[in-house]
Amino acid sequence: MFKKLIAATALLTLGSTAAMAHVTLEGKEAPVGSTYKAVFRVPHGCDGKSTNVVRVQIPEGVISVKPQPKAGWKLEKVRAPYGKTYDYYGTPTSEGVKEIIWSGGNLGDDEYDEFVLRAFLTPDLKAGETLYFPIVQECPEGAVERWIEIPAAGQTSDDLELPAPGVKLLEKAAGH
Amino acid sequence: MAGFRMTNIGFDMRKLALAILLWLGLASVAAAHASLTATEPQDGAVVDAPPARYALTFSEPVSPISLQLIKPDGTSLSLDKFVLRDRTLDIEAPTDLKRGTHILSWRVVSEDGHPVGGSVVFSIGEASAAPPPVPELVDWQVRSGLWLTKVALYIGLFIGIGGVFAFRWFLVGSRAGTTLAGLALGIGLLGTIASAGFQGLDALGAPVSRFFDPVIWSTGMGTSFGRTVVVMIGAIILSGLALLARSEAISRWLALAGLLAGALALSLSGHASAAEPQWLTRPSVFLHASTIAIWTGALLPLGLSLRAGDAGSVTALRRFSACIPFAVVVLLVAGTALAVIQVQAPQALLDTAYGSVLLVKLALLVLLFGLAAINRWRLTRPSEAGDAQAVRDLVRSIAAETAIVLMVFAIAAYWRFTPPPRALAIAAAQPASTHIHTEKAMADLTVAPGRAGPVTVSAAIMTGDFGPLDAKEVSFVFSNPAAGIEPIKRKAMKPGDGTWRADDLVLPLPGTWNVRVDILVSDFDIARLEGKIEIRP
Repeated sequence: MFKKLIAATALLTLGSTAAMAHVTLEGKEAPVGSTYKAVFRVPHGCDGKSTNVVRVQIPEGVISVKPQPKAGWKLEKVRAPYGKTYDYYGTPTSEGVKEIIWSGGNLGDDEYDEFVLRAFLTPDLKAGETLYFPIVQECPEGAVERWIEIPAAGQTSDDLELPAPGVKLLEKAAGH
Repeated sequence: MAGFRMTNIGFDMRKLALAILLWLGLASVAAAHASLTATEPQDGAVVDAPPARYALTFSEPVSPISLQLIKPDGTSLSLDKFVLRDRTLDIEAPTDLKRGTHILSWRVVSEDGHPVGGSVVFSIGEASAAPPPVPELVDWQVRSGLWLTKVALYIGLFIGIGGVFAFRWFLVGSRAGTTLAGLALGIGLLGTIASAGFQGLDALGAPVSRFFDPVIWSTGMGTSFGRTVVVMIGAIILSGLALLARSEAISRWLALAGLLAGALALSLSGHASAAEPQWLTRPSVFLHASTIAIWTGALLPLGLSLRAGDAGSVTALRRFSACIPFAVVVLLVAGTALAVIQVQAPQALLDTAYGSVLLVKLALLVLLFGLAAINRWRLTRPSEAGDAQAVRDLVRSIAAETAIVLMVFAIAAYWRFTPPPRALAIAAAQPASTHIHTEKAMADLTVAPGRAGPVTVSAAIMTGDFGPLDAKEVSFVFSNPAAGIEPIKRKAMKPGDGTWRADDLVLPLPGTWNVRVDILVSDFDIARLEGKIEIRP
């Protein structure tokens, strides 16, 4: 009986680990109109293969993006025009980093790492909604994991096979 | 395809009524030889607006005989504007149709000379409470006529023409049974001529009362069976001349010409001659028919000559015994080749009407060959030696053989009404398809064949507003929650024709499957299209 219980618990634990195994954001909530430090947690590779490339797509309304360099990884910032012009502390900003690529690294499937960037969440973003950062994780021999699905109306991330990590947007903090 | 939306009919009674109609339609399809493989609109479809055109695609080239649209109020409209494109019949549709259930009733004649009929049921806006009646029923009088005339044609060819050949090549000098051969030729001539009329009645779906209508005859002669009729009449005339000719040499060559022409006539129409590969089927039909005529035609004259104790009968028997084994080998090889082509899988022998007819025919042939073996190895030598009892037994045995041969003709003539498994297989291989349309993207998905088992899935992908969509990756995901089958995912390849395809999929069960097309539009953008597809058993 006891053994069965242990087995069941182990199964449950393992099961929940498997369900948690996609890329997530450390900070679950952030107010709009502020700078957000996004920490992407990469818990495993692609089907047992180690990760060589991590790509993050910057969603619309997120500007002034600065990735944190990582030892052993090449850093690339892909710039592109924004959908509209945003006001960044009085400076009109119409283009900037839309994609960040960390490449050339080697993150084993049995290892864990975090990829960090800092960005400004413009007040144009709607508080109460969730902001998603689609991620592509590339491994050798063409293996790819894509965390790029955004829930449609009526869905949650739990309904999706490949959910993009998201952060819940809060009201703009007072006092600024 | 993409122009209108197809939805399922939600009303059970309507479903039932439609199912019955569908079944009636299928039943009439199954009674003929070119099979309908696709229709537009699809059978049972409910469309938003009246279709601009109808399209019927068949397993082999056809020509239309009658196309009618039956409106919800039961009135029918003749559709006479159509274009043939390869195996597809494109029909111009009337534009002033009202809401409700319509039936497109079609009747075509296929390359093998057999008319095919059926119906496609579709509804505009919504299904009518009571669909209009389908005017498609088997006319047993016409069917009996077709069958009887076919048997008569066989008697004319195999007993008549074959008999004359036997007189001129085996029984030199004996006149026994010439009257019977002449009679068989007469039956054959009448049967061949009448069969053109019945073919016409069947093609037009007309009752026997219109037998003497010239249109019926021109239609009958217009099918590929018309060629058979013309050549067969020529063959019978040649054989008749061979029977009457005084010069021994001329009559021999006339008899041979009659035999070859008769066999040629059979190879000009019929489902066996229409089958692929033609280089094999047509010569096989020719050889099969000519060797049957040589063998069975000799039976009656030989038996009668032996019974009469003609001087030449023993010589004739010797010639016959020396010759016939070669004819029988050719007959069996050609017959087997045709059976293999038509039946395809041994299981079809048990599953299809065509197979049952073949099995009955084979059983009769076993009897026939049994008697032939007794004649050859037990009775021929003593008869040749002058043993009177052996001669009597041989005559009796030959009479029994003739009776069995007539039964084989009766059975083989029934094939006129059973589609060969080859044609049924083409119908079964018809793909299942579905159209999935979302704001982001759309897919025309095809599963071929549309039945349970190993299938190939292919899809044409476009953006939601019909623009080109150059996807990075496409995957197909099939699941059947009702049957407890979890998602089966297959990554699609680009074969280079603009579609996406996956070959390595097995759908184990028939029924309604959920299908999802995952389209990776760009690295960070995926579209998932979900739909349903009906897989046949």
